Parts: sequence; structure tokens; C-alpha cells
Amino acid sequence: MYALEQIIITILVKFIPIEQLNAALSDPRAVAILIGALVSISTACLGVFLLLRKMSLTSDAISHTVLLGIVVAFFVMVGLLGTEADLSSPLLVIGAAAAGVLTVILTELVQRSGLVKQDAALGLVFPLLFAIAIIIISRYADDVHLDTDAVLVGEIGVAWANTNSHCFDNCDDVVITPDHPRAEMGRRCINCSSGGITPRDPKAVFEEVCANCGTYSAAEAWRERLIPEPPALVFWPRSLTLMGLVTLLNVGFIALFYKELKLTSFDSALATALGFRPVALNYMLMTLVSVTAVSAFDAVGSVLVVAFFIIPAATAYLLTDRLAIMLLISPVFGALSAMTGYELARGQLLGILPISDVLVFLDRTVGLDGYTQWNSSISASMVIMAFLFFLAAWVLSPRYGLVAAALRRRMQRQQFADQMILGHIYHHQGRPEAPEELAADRLHEHLGWTPTHTRLAIARLRTLNLVILEDEQVRLTPRGERVVSEFLHTQLHAGQPTG
Amino acid sequence: MTQQEKRGWLGIGALAILFVLAVPVSAWLFNIRYTYTLATVAVGGAMLGTVSGALGAFAVLRQQSLMGDTLSHAALPGVAVAFLIAGRDLGWLLLGAGIASWLAAHFVTVVTRTTRIKPDTAMGMALAAFFAVGIALLAYIQQRPDASQAGLDTFIFGQAAAIVQQDVILISVVGVVVFICLALFWKEFKLITFNAEFARANGYPVRTLDMLLSTLIVVAIVLGLQLAGVILMVGLLIAPAVAARQWTHHLGQMVVLSALLGAVSGASGAILSALDQGLPTGPLIIVVASVLVAVSLAIAPGRGVIWTLRQQQRDRQRFAALAGLQEKP
Repeated sequence: MYALEQIIITILVKFIPIEQLNAALSDPRAVAILIGALVSISTACLGVFLLLRKMSLTSDAISHTVLLGIVVAFFVMVGLLGTEADLSSPLLVIGAAAAGVLTVILTELVQRSGLVKQDAALGLVFPLLFAIAIIIISRYADDVHLDTDAVLVGEIGVAWANTNSHCFDNCDDVVITPDHPRAEMGRRCINCSSGGITPRDPKAVFEEVCANCGTYSAAEAWRERLIPEPPALVFWPRSLTLMGLVTLLNVGFIALFYKELKLTSFDSALATALGFRPVALNYMLMTLVSVTAVSAFDAVGSVLVVAFFIIPAATAYLLTDRLAIMLLISPVFGALSAMTGYELARGQLLGILPISDVLVFLDRTVGLDGYTQWNSSISASMVIMAFLFFLAAWVLSPRYGLVAAALRRRMQRQQFADQMILGHIYHHQGRPEAPEELAADRLHEHLGWTPTHTRLAIARLRTLNLVILEDEQVRLTPRGERVVSEFLHTQLHAGQPTG
Repeated sequence: MTQQEKRGWLGIGALAILFVLAVPVSAWLFNIRYTYTLATVAVGGAMLGTVSGALGAFAVLRQQSLMGDTLSHAALPGVAVAFLIAGRDLGWLLLGAGIASWLAAHFVTVVTRTTRIKPDTAMGMALAAFFAVGIALLAYIQQRPDASQAGLDTFIFGQAAAIVQQDVILISVVGVVVFICLALFWKEFKLITFNAEFARANGYPVRTLDMLLSTLIVVAIVLGLQLAGVILMVGLLIAPAVAARQWTHHLGQMVVLSALLGAVSGASGAILSALDQGLPTGPLIIVVASVLVAVSLAIAPGRGVIWTLRQQQRDRQRFAALAGLQEKP
């Protein structure tokens, strides 16, 4: 991991001056948004397949049980290996992947006993594993270094502070020996306290001592002004490497197994028949979900990560029918919500509406004890933005949105009304009952509609030049007659048995 | 009443007596001293377990187990808003929680009806989005200078020690109302649980009944939040029901047994967590309930894993014996 960071930074330093790079990497806003975007992208592309396989809630279960893997890995690290607990250790990823796969296996075992339905099986397994993890955490909180707050929401806001330092120039350790020009030499009396004499006494024996001898790391040496130039250090946030790797891993997995994933997601039986292994692929997907969940854990916590998996995928699902496009849109929405979510946590909704204005208004109307500062959880705000994007897609989606559906229904209703009236006129026109049936002001009685609805429909037909009014009677125009007879031949009689 | 049913009721009665007797026996065995606080917590846990166990039976039978998960997470913003408006008053907090869960239930229904998104995804979205709103509001509340917000996060993992006598009375009153509703609409609930189409064809207002049953489940969840917390409430809702399901094929018996097992899990989890500092209540309740499920899945007569294995072995022997008989001329 460290070596990888070294390589990335070496490349970056070629293009960006070190001061600028450090400024960017220690900017909480930039780092939080970057990590949020990486979390969103890595989860959102897996989320598409979870959604299509109706396994959305499995991600919920896994994100909870990953915690058990983390806790167990912590104990292995601290108890067995004696190393320092570290949230970005590869051991955590292994533990979490094992816990995630264990969840899936246990759920399938319970379900396959035939005694419990699938939903209940999931609902039995993950609360138990999560409960065990929570008990361990609260019992051994001092050893685990996890508090329940971090479990819930993560610490994306302080990700910039958890860094590895990388050095590029003036990196050598400085060793100060007594003959070094910067050595601070002094003299010390060695028999003064034992002999009860003062240093001025002629019997006093002195030795040369060096006050600052020893080995200094480059950074320490600069602090002590032992070297003329500061070492070129880059402080690289650790989560950035992990999330970047996971994002690459997920994108690579999908690119590599795109065909297989597509086939097994839409038609698992066909995939089996064609000789693919849906089960193996499923376990690979679940492993990736677990790995992603644990990597996102210290950024966004264990509960909110579900939202990153599901919500952008659902938004994309409402906007397109094509899998490839869905896989593109979903991460875009994820990244967008990471960006706007950070601003929301800092009190700006999409740069339009300052939250403190809302709070001031609420304070005046319902009373918030005058507390109108809004400084909220970053990860939760990112989820809220993702949800707002979903709501927007739900209302506005051109094909599946509520507005589009309402317009479509309205158009169908109009079309139906038009056809009814045209048919009614066509049927009675030129026959003895016509004056009675086609009187414009009483047409609604014959159709069984409200007068307004009828009047609106006739007005529409008149503007379309399909119907005219003569002596308070409705009649078809020649164009109207053509439309009706065409309709009769193509639509009404089509598919009906003849004779 | 058939012989089998009678035997079932007798068994449940015996079990209930056993559990009541377990209280003094365990006190004597493990040297537990039932102080006033511990008794309050235990009774509270038992009441909550009873209500959620009984209603959980319906959630499990209707295959809506994970709806419980959604609804309990979704309660969090309601708790936060109620706190902002009315302060730390349990009645108001629970009302807020109920309204928020109810909204989430509606969101799931409407999204599934108006789009092609499947219920599981809709539930996951409602769960996470509502929970995020709750977390954001809690973060805002925690910045406020007044200290009275202390204890709001007990709603996340549950804390038995937070329960006082007033809460127990509130829980009991609401619990009685829930059971009266169950008794009044017993036939209707049974019908929509097992055959909603038939109910609709017979002119029952299925949607209204559905809503009523969902509302009752919301009430159970909301009551349990204080004890089990939002994340683990789903376990308290479905584990007793799944355990009870293994022992009987009779709805009435299942509901009563589930309530009984819920009471046992709730009470023993609450007692266990009160025994030592730093033991969260919710997780302990879930562990107790899961043990009950594991035992039931293993040994339930006529259904359990052990019974099935023995039956298979017996069948295999009989088959071998028959085959052996046929071979001999």
C-alpha cells in the first residue's frame, strides 16, 4: 500500500509542485469530496447489479455484518499479532470479506432448511452477527478503538488528517556525532554530587557531553534546524489509496465479467444452461460488496453505506433501460451527491438555499431556542442529496417519472374521449334519431359524461377540424369522417373474427 | 377443538408457567437481586417483547420481515424532530417515531406502485435515506448547548437502564390497545395474511386492513426502539415469530407462543444487560432470541432439522428392508 502511494505521488509531483499538492491533500473539503466520490463510484456500480438481482437488502445485511469481521480482525491484530490496530490494514478487508460471505452462506443455509422464508432468514442472520459485534465493541471498547458513532456515520470529515507521510527530497536521517559542526557540546562534572564538591573545586573532574547527539528523522532534523532545507514531504490520506484501489477493483471486475454479470442477472437459468457458473459469480459479487463495504466503513460507517449502494442505482434505473448506460449514470449520480452532500453538511443546499435561513425561519415559527447553526454529518448529508436526486428522477424521468406518467394518462384519456365522440357521431349521423342524439348541448347525456368534460372534448375536436357545429348539432367534417373510417378499419376490426 | 390443538395450548400454558417459575429459580441460582430498577427494566422488556412478538408473527407470515428493519431505521428522524419540538418526553418521541415510520411505509408502497422499482430496493432506500436524515438531525441536536439531548442516542442501540416506571405504564397501555385491535380484527387479519385475494373478492376493505396491521406493527417497533434500538429492532420483531412458527400450524397458538418467546427474550436480555456496566440491551435481546430460534429450528417436532434427519434415516432403513424382502424369492 505504502509503495503504491509512493509511485502515485512520484508521478503527481512531476506535474504539481509539492506545496500545492500538500495544500490540496490537507484541505478537508477536497479530501472529503474525493473520498466520498470514490465511495459513491465503487458502490454505485455494484449497486446496479444488486438492484437487478433483487438483492438490495443483502447489501444492507452485509454492511452490518462486516462490522463483525472488522472486530474479529482487530482482535487478531492486537491480540495475536501484537501489531497496532489500523483501520486500513489488509487484514480488515479479509475479515470483512469473510464476514460478508458468511452472512450469505448462513442465510442460504437457514433458507435451504425449508423452515424459514428468504426475507426472514436474512432478518435472522444479520441482526445476530451485528449484535455479537456490538456486544464485543461495548465490552472491550478500550482495545478495539471503535466507538459506536464511527460505526454509524464514519469519519469522512477527518479523513484528511489520517495520513502516511512520504518524503522526496532531503529525506536522509541526520546523525549528529560529537565532531559534527552542529553538535552542542557541554561539560559536565562527574564527581560533584558524589564527592559533595562544587564544579569550581579544583578536584572536580569533567567530561565532554553532547546535548543533541543522536539520530534524527528528516522531519525532526528540520524542526531542530539541523538542516538548511526542509524535507519535501507529502502527507497522503490513507483512505484515498484504499478507496481508489477498491474502485479500480470493482470497475475492473465489471469490465471483465460484464457479459457474465448481465446474463446471470437477467436470466440465471439460461446462464447455467449455457455453462456459466451463476453461483460462483454471485459469491464473487458478494465478496466485492463486502470488501467495498469495509473499505467505505471508516469513511461513511456501516449503516449509511447501504444508501450509497442502492440509491444511485435506483435513480439510474428510472432513467434508462440499457444496462451499460445505467452503469454509467449510477456512479455519476453517486459522485454528484458526494459533492453536493459536502456542501449540504456545511449548510448549503445545492448552493441555492442556505440551511441556516431555514433554521432562522423555523426558529421564528416553532422555536429552536435560537440555535440556528447547521453543521451536520457529511456522510448523512451525502445520502440525503442522493435521495433528493432520486426524488427528482422519480418525478421528472422522461419515461418512468410521475409527470410523464400523468401526461401519458391524460393523453390516453383525451384520445379515448375523442374516439368515443367521433364514433358516436359516425354511428348516428344521417339517421332519424340524429337531431336528438347529436344535439351539442345534450351530447353528454348520451355519453354519460359530465358536461364540462364533453364540452372540452368537442372544443378540442373542433380545433383539430374533425367536427363542426351546425344549428347546435355536431357533425363530422370530411376529415373527421376519414379519420373515423380509418380507425374502424385499422383498429376496431383488426384482430376480430370475421362474420 | 381438535386433540392436537388442545395439546398445543396445554404445551404453551406449561411453557408460560415454566418461564414464570424461572424467575425465582434463576434469582436463587445466579444470585440475581431483583431490585426495584431491575424489576422495572425486566417488566418493561417483557411487555415490549410480548407486543412485538405477537405482531411479528403477522410480519413473518406475510413475508414482510424486512419491512420491520426499514420501519425501525426510518423512525430516527421522527425521534429527532419530536425532540426539537417537544423536548425529551417519551410520548412525543414515540409519536414522532411512529409518524416517520408510517411515512416510510407509505414511501415504499407508493414507489413500488408507481415505478418498476422492486419492494426490496424501495425498502433499502427508505431505510437508508430516512436514517441519514435522522443522523443529520441528531448531529445538529448534539451541537446545541443544552445537555438535555443526552440519551437520544439510546434509540440507536437501545438502553434498558433508560426505562422508568412511567415508560412501563405507557408501554402497557399501548400494548393493551394493540391486543384489543388484534382481537377485534382477528378474523380479518387472518384472512388478509393467508389469502388477500379471497378477502378482496369477499368485499373486505383489504387496503384499510393492510394499513391498520402495518400501523400496529409500526406501534410495536416504536415501543421497542427504546429497548432494542433502531438497528436491531427487526430481530426482536421476527426472531420470536420464526421460533414460534416451528412449533405449531395454528395461527392463534403461533401468535401467543411468539408473544411468550418475545417476552422471555425481552426480559432476559434486559436483565442480562442490567447486570453489568457497558452491556447494550438490544444486542443481548437479539442473542437470546436467536438462541431460541436455533433451538426451535433444531428440535421442533415434525419440522425441525433433527426430526427431519431422523425421519430420513428411518425411511432409508424401511426402504432397505422392503428392497431386501422383495429380492428374496
